[in-house]
Amino acid sequence: MAVDDVSFSINKGEIVGLVGPNGAGKTTIVHMLLGLISPSSGSLSLFGRKIGQEREHILQRLNFTSPYMAFPSRLTVRENLSVFARIYDVRDPTVKINELLDQFAIRKLENKPVARLSSGEVTRVGLCKAFLNNPELLLLDEPTAYLDPLIALEVREILLDLQQRRGTTVLYTSHNMREVQRMCSRLIFLSHGRVIASGSPIEVTRQILKEHRDAPALEEVFIHIARQQTNAAK
Amino acid sequence: MRRNRIEAVILRHLYEIRHNANHLINMVYWPVVNIVVWGFFTTYLFGRDGLQPGIITDLLGAVILWGFFNGFQRDMAQGFLEEFWSRNIVNLFASPLSVMDYAVGLISVNLIKALIGLTAESLIALVCYRFNIFPVLISFLPFIANLMFFGLAIGVVVTGLIFRYTTKLQVLAWSFAGLLMPFSCVFYPLKALPAFLRPLALILPTTHSFEGMRHVLAGEGFSIADFVWGLALDLIYLILAVLIFRKMLESARSRGLLVKME
Repeated sequence: MAVDDVSFSINKGEIVGLVGPNGAGKTTIVHMLLGLISPSSGSLSLFGRKIGQEREHILQRLNFTSPYMAFPSRLTVRENLSVFARIYDVRDPTVKINELLDQFAIRKLENKPVARLSSGEVTRVGLCKAFLNNPELLLLDEPTAYLDPLIALEVREILLDLQQRRGTTVLYTSHNMREVQRMCSRLIFLSHGRVIASGSPIEVTRQILKEHRDAPALEEVFIHIARQQTNAAK
Repeated sequence: MRRNRIEAVILRHLYEIRHNANHLINMVYWPVVNIVVWGFFTTYLFGRDGLQPGIITDLLGAVILWGFFNGFQRDMAQGFLEEFWSRNIVNLFASPLSVMDYAVGLISVNLIKALIGLTAESLIALVCYRFNIFPVLISFLPFIANLMFFGLAIGVVVTGLIFRYTTKLQVLAWSFAGLLMPFSCVFYPLKALPAFLRPLALILPTTHSFEGMRHVLAGEGFSIADFVWGLALDLIYLILAVLIFRKMLESARSRGLLVKME
């Protein structure tokens, strides 16, 4: 079972980090929230509505990026974004696409087929797609996984800027604990598909390491949990 | 169903056609090669003694209609496969686009593609072999519609199976219609089949379309019985196809296969 008895809520405008070692269930939760995986039991609600019953309404109000997705590779960046702009019924799609291409600094790539982009460039196209419909909830699954440190820094700044200006609620998964610490006001720490701690980075650090700390130490927390998970598997 | 989402699917596939020569080959090249080969064959037969009158027009009509059915069915399944191959399926299934929106968009594009192929074949048959399908085209339309519905049902089932059993079953997209061809009485009448195979042929809408086509070409008028039988069978197969698809999709969702498709 990938996730079991997981329950959490996110406040409007919050950036919440969903973290944990490989196999903890982060991506499974994101995929469940997107309706890509059905839970074997229990139910899932977003915006107070059940995803199984009001899928279209819910998915119109959120968006996502994930390393599991890609775009039709022969289509250009602009063509891909135009298709998704129609799917999300974006008003003035040309204006919106131009604005996002400029924000993510990929305007010069607009007429390039996706097949000819680097993985970092594809990630930024994915982020443009994720902001097309001004989502109320944004699910960012490892959004900087394929980016070099400089581009990752720029992308984080853009994400924070867009999030602050629009008040978007963000659920953020990453293995980069420094990034999580910088981006998220609250964390949900998973291990073996269960929530083992939640709260601010400092609260999570204290809960898991079971000692007083004056500053968050998420990398230490991560290694501690990952070792426990590995030892349990032996 | 939402118009903007259907338009998005149409746009997505039109862009694909623009960038991918395989679509042009499937749309025009193969239908043209097909009719040229069969045209030469019928020209050869024309010179033989003892040939029943009408057999040549029957053959050319069958080539054109089978080309339409085969192309439409293949493109319905291949349209979904393109989303798997490009790993775009996650983007689509995690968007407000419904399966129905996608299917309607894909049907629209593939219908246009199949009609372009049919027109190309018909023009070559007219110019090169003096077989003019156009005066009887109106009478053919109901049978063409029945072929389209059956092609749709097959495309839906094949796509459902691919969702559940992944792209290892993708060969069905190209081969399924071929499996039905011997029993669909494409190039020969139903009575040419061995008696024990006729019940099987009669439960295929394709058989009724080709029998109906031969009625028209023989100057016997429009066969209402063949049309109604074909339509009724199509309805049954479409309902079954949708049920199978939903079952397969739900099974794929609960097993997490949608995010692992390649």
